[in-house]
Amino acid sequence: MRFTILEKFYISKYLRDPRRYLLRFNYVFMILGIVISVGILSAGLNLFEGYQRTLKSLLLDSIAHVSIFSSNSEYIPISEANRLKTVLQAHKEVTAAVPVITSSVMAQKAGAVRGCFLKAYDKNESTFSKYVVSGSPKLETDNIIIGYHLAKEFNLVVNDTLSIIFPQMNRITALGLYPSERQYSISGIYKSGYYEYDRSIVICDFETAGNLLLTEDRVSKIEISLLPQFTNQTEKIQSTLESELGDDYIVTAWTENNAGLFRLITLEKWLIFIVFSFLVLIAGLNVVSAVSTSIVDMSSEIAILRTVGAGTVTITRIIYSRIAVIGLFAVLIGQILGAGLSYLAIKQSIYTLKGDVYFIDKLTIFISPTNQIVIFFVAAVIILLCIRIPLRNIRNMQIIDVFRRN
Amino acid sequence: MICLAGHQLAKNFLDSDQVIHVLSGTDIIVNQSELVCITGQSGCGKSTLLHILGLLDAPDSGTIELFGKEINSNSPDAAHIRNRDMGFVFQFHYLIEDLNAQENVAIPAMIAGESRQKSMNRATEILHLFDMDHRIGHYPNQLSGGEQQRVSLARALINNPKIVFADEPTGNLDPQHSLEVWQNIQKLNQDFGYTFVIVTHDSELANSSPIRYELKNGILVRNN
Ligand SMILES: Nc1ncnc2c1ncn2[C@@H]1O[C@H](COP(=O)(O)OP(=O)(O)OP(=O)(O)O)[C@@H](O)[C@H]1O
Ligand SMILES: [Mg+2]
Repeated sequence: MRFTILEKFYISKYLRDPRRYLLRFNYVFMILGIVISVGILSAGLNLFEGYQRTLKSLLLDSIAHVSIFSSNSEYIPISEANRLKTVLQAHKEVTAAVPVITSSVMAQKAGAVRGCFLKAYDKNESTFSKYVVSGSPKLETDNIIIGYHLAKEFNLVVNDTLSIIFPQMNRITALGLYPSERQYSISGIYKSGYYEYDRSIVICDFETAGNLLLTEDRVSKIEISLLPQFTNQTEKIQSTLESELGDDYIVTAWTENNAGLFRLITLEKWLIFIVFSFLVLIAGLNVVSAVSTSIVDMSSEIAILRTVGAGTVTITRIIYSRIAVIGLFAVLIGQILGAGLSYLAIKQSIYTLKGDVYFIDKLTIFISPTNQIVIFFVAAVIILLCIRIPLRNIRNMQIIDVFRRN
Repeated sequence: MICLAGHQLAKNFLDSDQVIHVLSGTDIIVNQSELVCITGQSGCGKSTLLHILGLLDAPDSGTIELFGKEINSNSPDAAHIRNRDMGFVFQFHYLIEDLNAQENVAIPAMIAGESRQKSMNRATEILHLFDMDHRIGHYPNQLSGGEQQRVSLARALINNPKIVFADEPTGNLDPQHSLEVWQNIQKLNQDFGYTFVIVTHDSELANSSPIRYELKNGILVRNN
C-alpha cells in the first residue's frame, strides 16, 4: 500500500499527537466496546488454554504414558517384570519403567464405603513421592498413602487408620462374596491436582498389596514414563516396543484412552472463540455508528479538502487510517485487559471449578502467543471491515450541500 | 487574453415542489489579471454562479472554458483543475480546525504532490507576504476573523492558480479588517497579476473595482 503525501502527512500527525486527533468523545464508546469485547474474548481463551494445558500436564504427570501387560495372563511374574524393566529403560525416550500392581478396592470408614483405586509399587520406588503433601513418601508394609480428596471426604489425617476391602471372586462362600478386609495406617497424603486421582488413589508397597489381594511375586503391568517431547508420539514407541517384546505382551498408550478428551477440549476452545467473537462483532456495530457520526462531524473538513482538490479516495484513506489506528490500539488494550481479567479470575475464590466435572479444581491461565495473534487478527479484520462500511458515504457527499448547511 | 469564460449558464433548483430559477443562461468573460466584482441581492444566485465557475457544482446547461479549454465539474480531472488552476476563499474562512495556519496553507501543495517540507516552506513564504509570520503555528480558533481570512487567501494562492474565486471574503469582518483583506487582494491583483472573481455585498469595495457585474434575474449585467 503506497500513501500519497497528504495521507502520510495526516497519518504522521495522528501518530505524533494521538490525544488531539484520536481520543475524541465520538470514539470513546467505540473504544470501550472494542476493549471490553476483545478483553472478554481474550480472557476466555487465556483461561481455557490454561485449563487445557494444566489438565494435559497433570494427566501426563500422573498417568503412565505407555503400559505393558501380559497377553496371556492377568499378571507378570516379578522376576520377568524386573528383566523387562532393564530392557525398557535402555530406550532413550523412556524416563522410567515401573512395575505396579493395580486393583479396584473399596475404602471403608465409619460405615461409609467408597470405590478406590489401589496402586502398589516396589518399596524403593519414588516416582510418586513429589505428590505426597503430608506425612512421608516412604512406603512401609501395612501403611498406605491415600489421595487428598479421599482423606478429606473421610476426614482422615496422617496416622489415622482406614480399612481397605478387596472383594474376592474366587472365594465365594455360602454367605456370599467373602471379602478380604484389612486395617491400614495412613502414612501420607497424595495430591497430584488431578481430581480423579486424588479422590480415589490408595498407594502401598508390593507386600501390602500381595497380602490384601492374595497374590505373590507378580505385578499387573509395567508403567512407562516418556521424556516430555515424546509424550505425543506414543504410536511410534508403541510399535517399536510391540515388535521388540513379541506376542507375549500388549503395549497400550495413554493417547488411546484420552485422545478423545483432548480433541473435545480443543473443539470447545474454538467454540468459545467463535461465540466470544460475536461480542467483537457487536462492538463492530458500535464502530459503524461512531464512524458515521464522525463523518458528519468532519464533513466541513472533507468539503474543504475536496474543494482544494483532494480526491475522495485520499480523503477516505485519511479518515480510515485515523479510525483504524484507534481501533487497532483498542484491540491491543483489550488483549491487555483480557490478561488482567483472566488474572483476576484465578485470584478470586468466589467461583471454583467442580473437580468431579472438570477433572481439576483450580483455574489457571496461559497466555498463548498464537492465541493472541489469532485474536488480534480476527478482531482487527472485524473492526477494519466495520470502519469501511460508513466510509462509503464520503464518495456520495456533495461539497455544495456541506457548505450550504453551514 | 481570456482566462475564464462561461457561456449560457443556467441553473434551477427544485425546492419541495417549486422550481427556483437561479441562473437563466448567463455569460461571463474574465480576462487574465482582471479583478471582477459580482454584486446582487441576497439570494439572487451569486454563490451558485461562483460554485459553478469553480467546478464545485454542475450547471443544468451551458459551458465553461479555462484558457480556451472546456472544463466540467463532472470530469475526472475536475479535482486536479481545482487544485492546480483555481483558488477559493469563502465568507466563513473554511479552515481545517485541526491544522495550524501553516499546515492549512500547505494542504493544496501537498495534494499537488509537493513534498511536505517544500509545501511547508512555501506556506511560510506566503504567510510572510500577508504579515502572518508570528501566526504560522496557531490554530484557526486562535486567530481573528481577518487573520483567518488571510490564511484562506494564502491557501488559495499556494499553487499559483490561474484564477481565484472569493465569495464575500469580507462579509464576516469589521470595516477595519475588511479593508485590510481588500487591500491584500488588490495588491495581489496589481503587483502579481492574479486573476480574481469576487462576490461581495459591500458596495463601497465593489465600486473601487474596475470591472463590476450585477446579477439580476439570473443574468449578469455589466455595471461600469
Ligand atoms: N441546493 C439547493 N436547493 C434548493 N435551493 C437552493 C440550493 N442552493 C441554492 N438554492 C437557492 O438558490 C438561490 C440562490 O442561492 P445563492 O446561495 O446562490 O444566493 P446568493 O446570491 O449567494 O445569496 P447571499 O447573498 O445571501 O449569499 C437561493 O434562493 C437559495 O435558496
Ligand atoms: Mg452567497
